[in-house]
Amino acid sequence: MDNFWDMKAKEIMQSFSEDKNYEKWKKDVLDPWNKKTGYTDKPRENSSSMLIKDLYMAGDLPVDAESRIGNPGEYPFTRGIYPNMYRGRNWTMRMFSGFGTPDDTNKRLKYLIENGETGLSIAFDMPTLYGYDCDSKRAEGEVGKCGVNVSSLHDMERIFDGIDLAKVSTSMTINAPAAILTAMYFVLAEKNGTPLDKISGTVQADILKEYIAQKEWMYPPEAHLRLIRDMLTYSTEHVPKWNYISVSGYHIREAGSSAVQELAFTLADGFYYIEMGINAGLNVDDFAPRTSFFFNSSINFFEEIAKFRAARRIWATVLKEKYHAKNPKSMALKFHTQTSGYTLTWQQPLNNIVRTTIEAMAAVLGGTQSLHTNSYDEAWALPTDDAVKVALRTQQIIAEETGITDVIDPLGGSYYLERLTCEMEIEAYKYFSEIEKMGGILNAVKAGYLQKEIADTSYKKQLRIEREDDIIVGVNKYVDKDEKPINTLKITDVAENGQIRSLEGIKKKRDESKVSRSLENLHKAMEDDSINLMPYIMECVRNYCTLEEISNVGREIFGEWKEPKIY
Amino acid sequence: MNGKNQKYTEAPVKVLLAKPAIDGHDRGIFVLAKAFRDAGMDVIYAGLLPTPEEVVDTAINEDVDVIALSLLNGAHMTAFRNVMEILRKKGVNDIAVVGGGIIPDEDKPALEKMGITGNFGPGTPLNVIIDHVRARAGEIRKLRANEY
Amino acid sequence: MNTEILVQGILRGDYRAIARSISLIENSGYKVRKDIISRIYRYGSAKIIGITGPPGVGKSTAIANLAPSLAVHGKVAVLAIDPASPFSGGAILGNRIRMQAALSSKGIYMRSTSNRLYNGGLSEYTWDIIKVLEAAGNDYIILETVGSGQADIDIMNIADVTCVFLAPGLGDEIQAIKSGIMEIGDIFVINKIDREGSYLAIKDIRESLNMSNKLETPVIGVNSLTGENYDELVKNILEIKNKNPREKYYRKLKMVVMEAIYDEYSDYVDGIEYGDNSLDEDPYTLAEEILGKNSNNLRKIKSRQQEY
Repeated sequence: MDNFWDMKAKEIMQSFSEDKNYEKWKKDVLDPWNKKTGYTDKPRENSSSMLIKDLYMAGDLPVDAESRIGNPGEYPFTRGIYPNMYRGRNWTMRMFSGFGTPDDTNKRLKYLIENGETGLSIAFDMPTLYGYDCDSKRAEGEVGKCGVNVSSLHDMERIFDGIDLAKVSTSMTINAPAAILTAMYFVLAEKNGTPLDKISGTVQADILKEYIAQKEWMYPPEAHLRLIRDMLTYSTEHVPKWNYISVSGYHIREAGSSAVQELAFTLADGFYYIEMGINAGLNVDDFAPRTSFFFNSSINFFEEIAKFRAARRIWATVLKEKYHAKNPKSMALKFHTQTSGYTLTWQQPLNNIVRTTIEAMAAVLGGTQSLHTNSYDEAWALPTDDAVKVALRTQQIIAEETGITDVIDPLGGSYYLERLTCEMEIEAYKYFSEIEKMGGILNAVKAGYLQKEIADTSYKKQLRIEREDDIIVGVNKYVDKDEKPINTLKITDVAENGQIRSLEGIKKKRDESKVSRSLENLHKAMEDDSINLMPYIMECVRNYCTLEEISNVGREIFGEWKEPKIY
Repeated sequence: MNGKNQKYTEAPVKVLLAKPAIDGHDRGIFVLAKAFRDAGMDVIYAGLLPTPEEVVDTAINEDVDVIALSLLNGAHMTAFRNVMEILRKKGVNDIAVVGGGIIPDEDKPALEKMGITGNFGPGTPLNVIIDHVRARAGEIRKLRANEY
Repeated sequence: MNTEILVQGILRGDYRAIARSISLIENSGYKVRKDIISRIYRYGSAKIIGITGPPGVGKSTAIANLAPSLAVHGKVAVLAIDPASPFSGGAILGNRIRMQAALSSKGIYMRSTSNRLYNGGLSEYTWDIIKVLEAAGNDYIILETVGSGQADIDIMNIADVTCVFLAPGLGDEIQAIKSGIMEIGDIFVINKIDREGSYLAIKDIRESLNMSNKLETPVIGVNSLTGENYDELVKNILEIKNKNPREKYYRKLKMVVMEAIYDEYSDYVDGIEYGDNSLDEDPYTLAEEILGKNSNNLRKIKSRQQEY
């Protein structure tokens, strides 16, 4: 029996027709030419293991191409979610930053604001991402290394010291302890006298992809999903400009998936969150417009563009047909893009500028709403200022020199691209169907199915590189004998020691009876699934309970998660 | 009847793959696990976020020849050192330790001095890593032949 | 090699000696194995608890719950078997992932081994490894089979108690699985009782047991996430009496005898190469010729086997 997904896949397949023109051209022109020149072709495939033909023609378009593709700003949004796209306004150039102590990061944010930046994007260090304080044994050597450390509300106060939260929008890349960091941000606004309906921002909070790919978790999936549900309902009611989730494929791709797997697994996560909102009693049009996505842009140019377009079309179709959204804003998939970290090579690092440029162009031609371009030295370390500047300039050159932004969706109608978009869609629908047959995404994740699919793809890719079926310039071809080291950013242990001392000070000053009472209250509330935990977490945060103390309440109740065995 | 009358020195290499810190980047570790398996080795993978104590415990219980440590989060100097110290405290000197990850050139001499070899960076061909692990395991097996 | 030092280590319960002995047993051939086993086989006696069931039912998570609960009653060790790759012979041994933390904190010895392409759900030397773990003073040895989805039949010959794990939601698969495992289970455990369909799964198993005239066999629902009902499982495991050791040993003896014969004749067997002139004979005649060279020994082994 066909499910919804099987039917959608079939529908697209049935829109393909036989291409007589191609056969004729191949027989009359190409084959004789190849015979004469002695040329032998080899099969070409993209990251998604799709065989790529040598030529695409009008006959490769779906028979209902016009309605299937549609127009910019209109359902199904294949050509972009806004009518004027970059004719109106360029994408947001949002560079992700964060390092060292809160004070280091505060300085950087103020510098960005002085230079006209209003979209802040904060990166946290590993201990914060896993819900450990800076003085935890587990945090040793990691404080401030991959981002800024936040162990209590005090650190949040320092990050945003002197910054008017009503005037900036803040994006926080945090997942497992997302509810705690969100609570800190809300409490900070309260303390500064900024009403919650005036603050805006995004918290990543996409826990499903953590189990699938990024592997930064604390509890079993159900516990985290409950916290996301609580954030969703709390912010839908109290913080109207807060985007409580950014459904992320970026990490799925970095973990080794193909483009199609990134597309399918990310959207499958997105559908789960939509169902969660509906199950929590919300109207889909009340919260779906606040769902946004975060994709990877990798090196196979057309495959990436097709992926972005397929994502928009699938989202629109499914929101309308399966979840019965009425508001076009619920159907319009908006997304942030980051160029691929995986494609950056340690060898001949300057080549990375070229790779990032091509990936950034794919994101722009795919209609992204915001973009982070990686720096050329990131296979070595966190980027230096100079390297970050080149990365930002790359975006500015694409936006202002190339003319790429002069036309809305300039590649729309390309035989190859439109066909590829359809084929990406079909493959994604097949995955949705497979996942449904496994009892839904949560079961599939707990069984390790998606993780295994990704690891298999990544191993296959590595073997292709080793066999030189896939070329990486400077790595398995055009190799330099002597690699000259480049200048890289060094992060010392000063941040770690400073944070530990600061946390000690906070623990001395706070009212311990309030600390233990608010943690006890949270403990009780957590045991009852029907209670929204946000107010309880905010109360803990107000009393300067630390990140780890709050996280530990959940660890006691829900236990810690261990990944399934996939091999 | 294959494998019946083997010599201990020639039996399959047993290697423990571990990321001894809070670092979720496991793409490389799975590629290595499969590559080692496909090279005929027995590979222990004990999952993410082990403490250094757990890594050493596992290595002893499983009697591995080689511990292969990997980190991509910049904490290798601290975390790798912790593993080496626990090994030393427990008096284990018959397990080889090799390293990999995003390890700057300037850290390599210090790691070598601790006894961690290889220290492979991004883009290292799999066969280079496999050959190194085999060579280290070979030394270990020879060393062990006289232990009991 | 000084086996005596190694054996003293095993008897003291020294993890490094135990670990090395297991490696030597797996890797060093008949003579070394005999050298170790013949010195320790009189020491120790443990209850062997077999854990089997199809992939994905949560056997490892179950052991993470079971092992610490049993540790209250005595010393526990865990042995888990993973399948080898038929292409390279190598194996990824991932069973520790979900046991590591629970076992490490209690100091429970755990070993992962590859089945080295041996059929039946165990490895060729599982019996020998268990002897080492018994000699090391363990009272309970938890033995996890490959769990490849096919019947891991060998477990019933080696375990005192075989626990068959199943989970709700296996769908049609369960029918196929059941046909192979109803006979081997002493206890049936339905894991993930929080999941939909667990009641039906328990009922289904009870009905099948009824048909096999095994109505007395316990069927227990557990939840490995919360540890719910593990007390009940432990109670049932403890209640089942250990098998007569002879029952376990005579099968191993058959295997060892075969191996001893092989060892004795390995020079001849391994000497048969493609291009060998002797291959001009038919294989049966050739085999008899090889055996004929040492037929007195062969008869001796035969008569001993009959006495047992």
